[in-house]
Amino acid sequence: MDTLVYYYRKVEQLFGSLKFAVIIIAIFATTLAFGTFMESYHGTEYANRLVYKSLPFMGLQLLMFLSILFATLLRLPPKKHLYGFYTIHAGLITLFIGSFVTYKAGVDGTMTLAPNLATREIILNHDILKIQFPQDGKEVIVDLPYSAFAKNVNLEYQDIKIGNYLPFADQKLTWVKSENEAGARDHSTHYRLYNDNFGEELTMSLNPNSDFQNTMQLGLLNIHYMPDVLADCFGDNNPEGLIIWDVDQGKCSSPTGKEIKKMKALTGKNLFMVNFEGKTLRFFPEMSPLPLDEKLQLQSTSPFRILSKNLFTSNPHLFVFGKKAAYFDKETKKWSTHAIPDGGVIDLPWMGFRLEVMEHRDGEYPVLAPSYIKPVQENSQIVRGDLKAIEIDINGQKFWVKTGEPIAYTKDGGRIQFELTKKSIMLPYELVLDQFKMDNDPGTNNPASYESFLSLFQGNKGTTKHHVFMNNPLKHESFTFYQASYFQTQAGPYGSVLSVNFDPGRFWKYLGSLLLVLGSIWHYVLRRSHLKKKGLSDDDQKLFTF
Amino acid sequence: MMTKSFLLFSLLLSFSAWAQPQLCKPELETLPVQAGGRVKPFHVFATETFRYISGTTSIEEGRRPVESFCRLTLKAFGMPAEIAVKVKVEHIDAKKLLGLKDSDSFILATDLEPKMGLIKTEITKQKENNGYKKELNKISGRFNAYESIIQARAWTVPEVINGQVLWRPIAEFLTEDKVQKRMESGDATPLLSIFRDVEAEYKKVETDHYLIELQYVKYNLFQWAMLVSLIAILVTVLIRKMSWGIALTSITVIIQIVNITLRVIISGRAPVTNMYETVMFSGLGGLILALIIFSLRRERVYLIAGLCLNILCLMMMKFANNMLDPAISPLVPVLRDNFWLSTHVTTVILSYAALALSWVIANIVLIKARFFTISKADYKYQTDLIYTCIKFGVVLLSTGVILGGVWADYSWGRFWGWDPKETWSLIVLLVYMCILHGRYTSWIREQRFVPLVAGAFMSVMMAWFGVNYILASGLHSYGFSEGGAVFLGSFFLIQIVVIILGVIGRKTPV
Repeated sequence: MDTLVYYYRKVEQLFGSLKFAVIIIAIFATTLAFGTFMESYHGTEYANRLVYKSLPFMGLQLLMFLSILFATLLRLPPKKHLYGFYTIHAGLITLFIGSFVTYKAGVDGTMTLAPNLATREIILNHDILKIQFPQDGKEVIVDLPYSAFAKNVNLEYQDIKIGNYLPFADQKLTWVKSENEAGARDHSTHYRLYNDNFGEELTMSLNPNSDFQNTMQLGLLNIHYMPDVLADCFGDNNPEGLIIWDVDQGKCSSPTGKEIKKMKALTGKNLFMVNFEGKTLRFFPEMSPLPLDEKLQLQSTSPFRILSKNLFTSNPHLFVFGKKAAYFDKETKKWSTHAIPDGGVIDLPWMGFRLEVMEHRDGEYPVLAPSYIKPVQENSQIVRGDLKAIEIDINGQKFWVKTGEPIAYTKDGGRIQFELTKKSIMLPYELVLDQFKMDNDPGTNNPASYESFLSLFQGNKGTTKHHVFMNNPLKHESFTFYQASYFQTQAGPYGSVLSVNFDPGRFWKYLGSLLLVLGSIWHYVLRRSHLKKKGLSDDDQKLFTF
Repeated sequence: MMTKSFLLFSLLLSFSAWAQPQLCKPELETLPVQAGGRVKPFHVFATETFRYISGTTSIEEGRRPVESFCRLTLKAFGMPAEIAVKVKVEHIDAKKLLGLKDSDSFILATDLEPKMGLIKTEITKQKENNGYKKELNKISGRFNAYESIIQARAWTVPEVINGQVLWRPIAEFLTEDKVQKRMESGDATPLLSIFRDVEAEYKKVETDHYLIELQYVKYNLFQWAMLVSLIAILVTVLIRKMSWGIALTSITVIIQIVNITLRVIISGRAPVTNMYETVMFSGLGGLILALIIFSLRRERVYLIAGLCLNILCLMMMKFANNMLDPAISPLVPVLRDNFWLSTHVTTVILSYAALALSWVIANIVLIKARFFTISKADYKYQTDLIYTCIKFGVVLLSTGVILGGVWADYSWGRFWGWDPKETWSLIVLLVYMCILHGRYTSWIREQRFVPLVAGAFMSVMMAWFGVNYILASGLHSYGFSEGGAVFLGSFFLIQIVVIILGVIGRKTPV
């Protein structure tokens, strides 16, 4: 027993000492400062995962708690002149207890309310992987680690292996060698299209396995990425505006009068009869570049195509072929092809646009694979790294499940659905956003207030109407709903985002706060004059401080 | 149709040599203008706009800002005005891009116009949101402000229709038939009369409350307060007339209270919603706290420290407009709660003021001990005076932090969210707690206490300015402004040099 008391005294003296307090406060302050810089550079979630909600930080808070607790115990039994000190420390202990209760039993989430749609779901901050087996009506939820870095989850469920989880990821562009036999003609290019007011980087590829496409629309401008063998034929201004393309041979040509025969079909469309190596092919190039067989069915396997450039003269269309580009100039009424020199740009005939080749690869195609990065924050917005991804391996076939992109996998005739999402809880009642109102400051677009008009449905208990706005939350059955944000739906009307909170530690935090403030006033402002009245010297007073 | 009549009218005015001198007169200063989400006198709007574009309110020698603004606006009506509006350029790379010398700080708006395409292209090329890109965006914003003046879009005029005030840009408001009617009725100054009537009608339908701001800006009582504070400190330090010093300090306090009250009446909220206002409030708060502590302890140094702090704050308000914007702007929705603004923010700012007093005294002691002589007993006594300030600061700060937590819980649903501003206010509290605890160990005796207090104020500066100028994120983004990083860096550097000088080669043995 004596040994126990001896060790307790040792522990009490260590944790309750002023020097320990100084060290732990200094470490705590430094960690907090580090956290604020992390938040500034990498965003709130990263800082939370790395610092504020990490295990080492919890440990640091525990040491702070022990320091405060033992500093108080060490100065017992109570002395009158230390009442202020006791009150401060009791306040801090109560605050810690309140915070712990909130951490363990509290709910802090958001509720997204689309106009006139009932919802009872509160989205929490923790990531989960949802695996659904629709045929069996089964659902498996995997809690993902609250880590700032990539972490191998290393879990197996049936044949499904759950591997690397990336809490912050970017789509990293990687080049894959084309397996196509005609790989040499399979190319991809990264461009920059810009004018004085606008700039956009575009990656385009011919390979169907690429994550990038071969057509794109930017405002009124349509961009088509084509095999480079077609470039010169686009610049050839033949009267019919046609290009004959032999896909197998990788050649193009302009039709001559001998090869091609123009007719009018019964529908009024232009019909072109073309002789290829003794065979006659029928084309309706205004409808499709593919030829038709005798039964007027499209021959999708045919190596021959006829492209009608006339389809692309009325609106802005840009054809790009790797390091060449072609377009129809409305002023000269001619097609022209331009080579884009390495590191150079070409001028386009629309709104001062210019095109620059940033990177060009033959026989390779680009794919986007998630890769861990520290998120990057600029102007309070995460500009890189706001993607989360998790690697799944089913019988050696690996793929990534990313946030916002659920994946359905077919296995043995059955479907498995994967979704990387947030944990959620359901309320026993429903909320409906009847109206969202936003007022602006006069003459500006700056919001002056956001207001949500809500209906709360409680089954048999009936429906109640509520008005939630900044600094005016709705309190209902221990939950509090705060106006947090808003969004615009595709249909036009605004939806509302409420922050939802259940805090069982609130009372303790308020009590602790009150004790802390009163104790500080007592200890720092009132006590000294009280001691002076008692006639204690300055040195005596110091002895009683802390 | 509107464009057609505007062009016809422009043609008419362009032949009227009388139009510009007749309209562009100082009388326009009292005209109400809606801008930036509120109604303000034309004088305030013109000065704020010119300050934003050029960094100065004086555009033409001998002409008031409203006259220059009006003359620039009438350019849209085809009236020539030879006004060289300078657009501020600060970043060295932006200067190079615009073909300016490193020593140039401005480019003429007319020279900038053909280069705007170049600036926009350069902005699109920048992948990182670095200082260069920010500066290019600023230049673009300044030019847009200039362009909106010369296109007669910036100046808005209240037109009362069926008892409702509709704000119209002057390009829409000033129509030919309005002027024609006046001329037909024999009005010798038709343009000015139109605006006089508009003002009178606005005051009748709404209020003339906005004119308080004109007095507030014109009297500029803070300048007077600075002058009186300077005299007070001279009297206290050189002539050593305490009664005169107290009287002058009281006058300063009264002047500042009057001016802050005017600002509260104009904005309708507690004067602590942006950096300019927190500096303004902390100067006054620090001075009042110094007077209170002085009355309790009868120690001259508190009065000197309070006056020093107040002068520093007033000088920042006067000369650091690049960093502290004096304009009154509407608040973001979440801060529109006067009760919490007036309790949480004012308490925190007062705590910073109290800690600033400790910082001033600590630096005085450091310098005195390094370059002059100070007895051991006096050194000990001065640390006790510093300790008193810290006690006030710590009590106010812990109260302010707690009040912030309660407001956050009330408004956002969480007591504590590790937002950078709240975290840094906690760091400040922890830094001072560390010093106060350490004072009773062998680690922090008097000789370390003073330099540590001087250095600890850097944490206050980080919480106060650094979060906004360096970290620049978080829920407290209301006060975020540009241009303070250099100020803060310089402050840290100077403070570190003073501490090193004060510690190394200290003349006074302690």
